[in-house]
Amino acid sequence: MTQTQTPRSQWVPVALSKMIEAGTSAGTVVNGAEIVVWRDTAGAAHAWEDRCPHRGMKMSFGFVRGDHITCLYHGWEYDTSGTCRYVPAHPELEVPKSICISRYGTAEAGGMIWAYTPLGTTEQDPPPVLPALEGVRSVYMDASVARVSDTLQQHSSAPAGDDAALCNAITLTLENTVVTIGLQQISDGQCALHIAVPEGTAPVTKEALLDWCEDLRRTVEGLEAAA
Amino acid sequence: MILHNYDLYEDCYRVRLLASCTEQSLELINVNAFPGAEEKTAPYLKLNPLGRLPILEDKDLCLRNLSAILLYVAEQDAQKRFIPKDSAERARMMDWLGFACDDLSVATEARAVALLDAPGDVVALRAKVRQLFRILDDHLTRQSLKGEPYVAGKTPCLADIALFPAFALCRDFNLDHDEFPAARLWARQIRMLSGFITMPGIPDYH
Ligand code: FES
Repeated sequence: MTQTQTPRSQWVPVALSKMIEAGTSAGTVVNGAEIVVWRDTAGAAHAWEDRCPHRGMKMSFGFVRGDHITCLYHGWEYDTSGTCRYVPAHPELEVPKSICISRYGTAEAGGMIWAYTPLGTTEQDPPPVLPALEGVRSVYMDASVARVSDTLQQHSSAPAGDDAALCNAITLTLENTVVTIGLQQISDGQCALHIAVPEGTAPVTKEALLDWCEDLRRTVEGLEAAA
Repeated sequence: MILHNYDLYEDCYRVRLLASCTEQSLELINVNAFPGAEEKTAPYLKLNPLGRLPILEDKDLCLRNLSAILLYVAEQDAQKRFIPKDSAERARMMDWLGFACDDLSVATEARAVALLDAPGDVVALRAKVRQLFRILDDHLTRQSLKGEPYVAGKTPCLADIALFPAFALCRDFNLDHDEFPAARLWARQIRMLSGFITMPGIPDYH
């Protein structure tokens, strides 16, 4: 089977929307770059460099209060623009505006949170356009994105969609359902698949998809280990 | 109930956490486990010939197996709130209690190697723990699809309490939570239980 290479956009899915609840944060990695994904209590998602400018602690270890994210180490607080607003050791201090965390362009589409990578690049293309979808699960695999795309094309009942708008995402028909899979490259040998289905998909279908995810992980990790 | 305790051992924390969430008081006897290895001295070997903590004493009882201790403390709770009444649910709870106390002892070991100078291969242990957390994350993903946010059902049980410390402390041996999104949300629910307490290594921010 010939492999049609999906055009790679710089928008990368980094989490399922539903797994980053308001007021929480999580760490992830795209091509070796550590990213904190968090959602403020008003509901907006953010993807930033996962590093506190003070002493380099991971911001994903910290916590969200209102529209600020706070570093666990010494409690420095950053607003949604990434600017440090409060230093507990010096409560009287007017914090210099220059202390900030670098941010990725962030968007939500198709039940996923997307970050525009790499850090510091200006957005050349608009965020992915996807219908409203419901996240099923994210599954992490010790395999390259290429290996996963390959396997998906060979093992799926229908060929992968090659809609250029679906960069870093593949659509497949599984269990008579159109399944959208966001592909996140973590490193050369690791990736994450963010799986989403149309809203209102039956629970039994979603359960079958969970079996499918676990089987796929076993298959690609087996292939990767044998390679 | 007397708990022979060392604050930095997650197995001792498991017992303290359970007692706190069930509103029971424990009399703590702090043992100089590190660096003193007091649990391996003659008086302690008399209580537990295995030379390990925690040890729980209550009246004539002297318990040193982790699941036995946890089950006993959970049953002393007048409401028995963490022991499911339904027998199938209770069986599932025991299944995950075994996972927490037996299978996941490799997490306790990994952490002891990373933090407390215990002998062992932290890389190999970390890989084992990662496999186990995958199993937990897969399970919690299925549970949440069923509308059951906890390991054995709709409400938190003893197994959830027993599992939490291993997951919350794995960064001590450089295993991140990134790959386990369902477990991350579950851990957040456990943190919100009434009576929840932390230990060193588990941030207290809620
Ligand atoms: S490292 Fe973040 S506040 Fe110090």
